[in-house]
Amino acid sequence: MIDKQKLVKIVGTGMVSDREEDLEKYSSDISFVNRVRPAYVVKPGTAGEVQKLIDLANATKTPLVPVSSGAPHFKGDTVPGNGGSIIVDLSGMKKVEFVDRARRVAMVEPGVTFEELIPLCTKEGLRLNMPLLPRKSKSVTGSILEREPVLMPGYQWDMSDPLACAGLYFGNGEEFRTGQAAGPGTLKDQWKVGAVQKAPYGPGTASLHRLIQGAQGTMGIVTWMSIRCEVLPKMQEPFFSASHDLDQLLDLMSWLIRLRMVTECFILNNTNLAAIFATDMEDYQRIKETLPPYILFYNIAGYDYFPEDRIAAYIKDIAVMNQRIGLDTGKSAGLISADGLLKKIQKPCDEPYWKLCLKGASQDIFFLTIYDHMERQIAAMKEMSEEIGYSPTDLGLYIQPIVQGTGYHCEFNLFYDPYSYTESDRVKDLSNMATKSLMNMGAFFSRPYGDEANWIFNRDAATTDALRRIKKIFDPNHVMNPGKVCF
Amino acid sequence: MALSKEIYRELEDIVGEEFICSDPAIMPSYHGSDLGAVVLPENTVQVQAIVKTCNRYKLQFSAVATGWTGSFKKDIVYIDMRRMNRIIEINEKNMYAVIEPYVITAELQAECFKKGLHFNVKGAGSNCSAMLRGHGHLDQSTSGDDRNHLAIEWVTPEGEIVRSGALGSTDEWFCGDGPGPSIRAILTSAVPPGVTPGVFTKAAIKLYHWAGPPKYDIQGLSPKYTLPEVPKNMMARYYSFPSVEKMWQAEIRLGENEICMELMGFNVSMVAANIATCNEDDERIFKRLNKEKKGPGFFVIIAGNSDNDFAFKKKALEQIVREAEGESMKSLEDPETEGILIAQCTRVTASIRETFRAGGAFSSIPIMSQRDLTIKWAIGAGEAKLPLIKAGHIVDDGGAFFGWGVEQGHVGKTEIFCKFDPANEKAKAAVEKWSKEQGRRAFDESYFALMMGEVSDDIKANMCHYDKWWIALTRAFDPNDVAPQGGPLV
Ligand SMILES: Cc1cc2nc3c(=O)[nH]c(=O)nc-3n(C[C@H](O)[C@H](O)[C@H](O)COP(=O)(O)OP(=O)(O)OC[C@H]3O[C@@H](n4cnc5c(N)ncnc54)[C@H](O)[C@@H]3O)c2cc1C
Repeated sequence: MIDKQKLVKIVGTGMVSDREEDLEKYSSDISFVNRVRPAYVVKPGTAGEVQKLIDLANATKTPLVPVSSGAPHFKGDTVPGNGGSIIVDLSGMKKVEFVDRARRVAMVEPGVTFEELIPLCTKEGLRLNMPLLPRKSKSVTGSILEREPVLMPGYQWDMSDPLACAGLYFGNGEEFRTGQAAGPGTLKDQWKVGAVQKAPYGPGTASLHRLIQGAQGTMGIVTWMSIRCEVLPKMQEPFFSASHDLDQLLDLMSWLIRLRMVTECFILNNTNLAAIFATDMEDYQRIKETLPPYILFYNIAGYDYFPEDRIAAYIKDIAVMNQRIGLDTGKSAGLISADGLLKKIQKPCDEPYWKLCLKGASQDIFFLTIYDHMERQIAAMKEMSEEIGYSPTDLGLYIQPIVQGTGYHCEFNLFYDPYSYTESDRVKDLSNMATKSLMNMGAFFSRPYGDEANWIFNRDAATTDALRRIKKIFDPNHVMNPGKVCF
Repeated sequence: MALSKEIYRELEDIVGEEFICSDPAIMPSYHGSDLGAVVLPENTVQVQAIVKTCNRYKLQFSAVATGWTGSFKKDIVYIDMRRMNRIIEINEKNMYAVIEPYVITAELQAECFKKGLHFNVKGAGSNCSAMLRGHGHLDQSTSGDDRNHLAIEWVTPEGEIVRSGALGSTDEWFCGDGPGPSIRAILTSAVPPGVTPGVFTKAAIKLYHWAGPPKYDIQGLSPKYTLPEVPKNMMARYYSFPSVEKMWQAEIRLGENEICMELMGFNVSMVAANIATCNEDDERIFKRLNKEKKGPGFFVIIAGNSDNDFAFKKKALEQIVREAEGESMKSLEDPETEGILIAQCTRVTASIRETFRAGGAFSSIPIMSQRDLTIKWAIGAGEAKLPLIKAGHIVDDGGAFFGWGVEQGHVGKTEIFCKFDPANEKAKAAVEKWSKEQGRRAFDESYFALMMGEVSDDIKANMCHYDKWWIALTRAFDPNDVAPQGGPLV
């Protein structure tokens, strides 16, 4: 095992811990991933320190597990895969380098959370294309590296959005900057001439930012990221359309995205919408009773020029579509108002975190799919729940169109009591069973975590082989988060 | 040099005798290069077999789609993809099309228009492969470069078939990323310097809504076509502004307010080239437009999905332009001109007129990046063209550059070119010198680095040594060194 003093020499005293209670925090999370205790938790403060840590890890063949967000963690990706690992906790790297209104871009270090960045963006007249209700401690960089789905699919042109550029150290310790940031010269040289690291292209032939996303820290460590921002609307008008018939809502949603009429746009079932607003179980039941099974939420935005005209035009056009499909649109669904939901989703989740509020834990099963398969997959999930004894009406559902409507993120949230063995086991079994069956029904698990990752990669040997060849180049000593993804 | 009989026979066994050739009389018709052989596979399995054969004999190969960019090494096996020309699927609900390499833009667009859909069309035009990456007039609303690819079927340089993203796991084309890190990182497609190692045999590309007619009712005869009327809820205008700064302000507001389907920073010389039916006409129109314009400008097309949408977009467009002191060029508002500009600029049929017609050749510096930054550089590059114009080396375009917004102005393309007579050695030398100096200035002043052609070591070093990674990646997939090498290796 690595000598503590070597780590102290890099990051300073107080920034290395091997105290039991600190190690314990990183040994497990809410997922079903095996417990493994790290050897140290190290908190670098600068990119230079990160590089030295990677060099030391290579020299001593010590595994590093990069972590940017604060607890609670949900997917097992930050629980070490091997003993003797060092947690590289980047949550203290909190510099916001700039928020640039004219070029719609912000640059941050990995420890910057949504909670911290949103007000700075708002001040400049910008906003982030964010995931649904991230917890307060969620790192913006972490979310984007994980390719979490975003609420405004119309502004997600490419799966890699809203990533603009990134600065990183590959697993072999070499520095790299992706996209426009690669050069010429240093970031400072570029700033002097007015460059703000916005364009994701290149450098040269490869687009290496795509390799560090979805990698769960297995390729290297990102020390800053520039993020594409959107303009803050002058006016907004959110709506609900609700139905028993999911297909009707999917139909409307696909047209809203295709015609670029809406910003935030997604579907929740009554379980999830109630869970988002409820303060406790009783409240949850009270809200849920008033809700129809499926609720489509969408927001129409008006920007600097004639915002009323834009909104009015789209309200009229959507009314025509609703008539064709046979749907109603309204400002509320049961006890929940569309304005209330809009307010909630434009910031991180209040404490306690909504997924933990009901029963203390949630196991999330999520995959990408297309319109054609979704209803069948959802029906199958309900059948499997029934079979395993998890009430299908307790299943949370979240459907998020991605990449301008070319696909959908479909997520089931299985709320359970982590202190009940029966409930935990049931949810674990359901999760395993569902992942396997849904894969056979066209569900694409593009972000595989935990044990399920093995089955997922087994389905595509050619891609797995390609990824392993690539990994060898960037992390030849296999020090970056071993045991994760397919490495 | 022709292939040995043995290898020729093996390749012939794969594609059939009709679809292979190494006849020395025919080879020069392919890019004037001394190729080993030309083979024409019909499907992925044949491509795979060809690539495996090349590996066995350590023979270099290159796949070619419509062949617009090619300059190819001697003795290679040239894989001509023209038989792989099928549109496999147009998925309306999920907004993507799955195509083979030789489907050209004009065909796919005609099919998509019928369904109220379209896609990013490379500026090179409607005769180019629709599958390969590129950028063009419609980038403002349809993105560009490598950002429109979803899943890709890829025959690796060793002849393995990799199906990226959802395709590899579920047989669906809608997503090219994952599981885990995205191999799109190396499948960046095939416009040099971005040569993908191996061969793309099918790809899904993103589709976008098309608010225009299912078909243009084109009338007249070449070179003078017209539209009987401007399509409903569409409008095209050319606006000129008192300064580059004002133009840029308008451009950025139009992007932020999501107004334009196309925002193309044509200079008036390019507008003239688009409208004119011959060189004499071109010169006359250019002079007229030059007098009419206030300063730098751009061409826009707006398209409403409904009357309401159109009314809003038109109102916002006019207000934004007014605030930036822009003015519409009245002579281009003539519905005949407006109509044909809409058709030409959406079907993208004008690039040859803009580039080759006046001089016979052109030399260009294109850059996809942060638009305001590249405009700043282009002003200087335009000024540097003026002495060449004065000396009569290049066609007079007023020292103009051009470019366009990408993804509603989030990023952009800027390009500047010189049109010249390739038979005029002095002109050629002057243009080469200009090109070298301006490329170097972009690097020295930290605007951007050009990565086409020969890239010097100091540029590579100052661009995070990107070449080193690319070489390592290609070696990992091409141990026999048989695939075309792009980027830093060109
Ligand atoms: C006048 C002119 C204007 C242009 N304007 C633009 C423009 O505005 N925007 C733009 O993006 N480009 C432009 N170009 C560049 C280029 O011509 C286009 O991008 C063109 O569409 C490339 O497609 P192609 O099918 O003709 O390419 P090809 O020449 O067939 O191929 C290009 C490269 O890709 C490789 N390749 C081809 N097919 C495959 C395959 N199936 N698998 C793997 N590799 C393959 C080839 O080996 C070659 O290296 C322009 C070119 C010209 C001559």
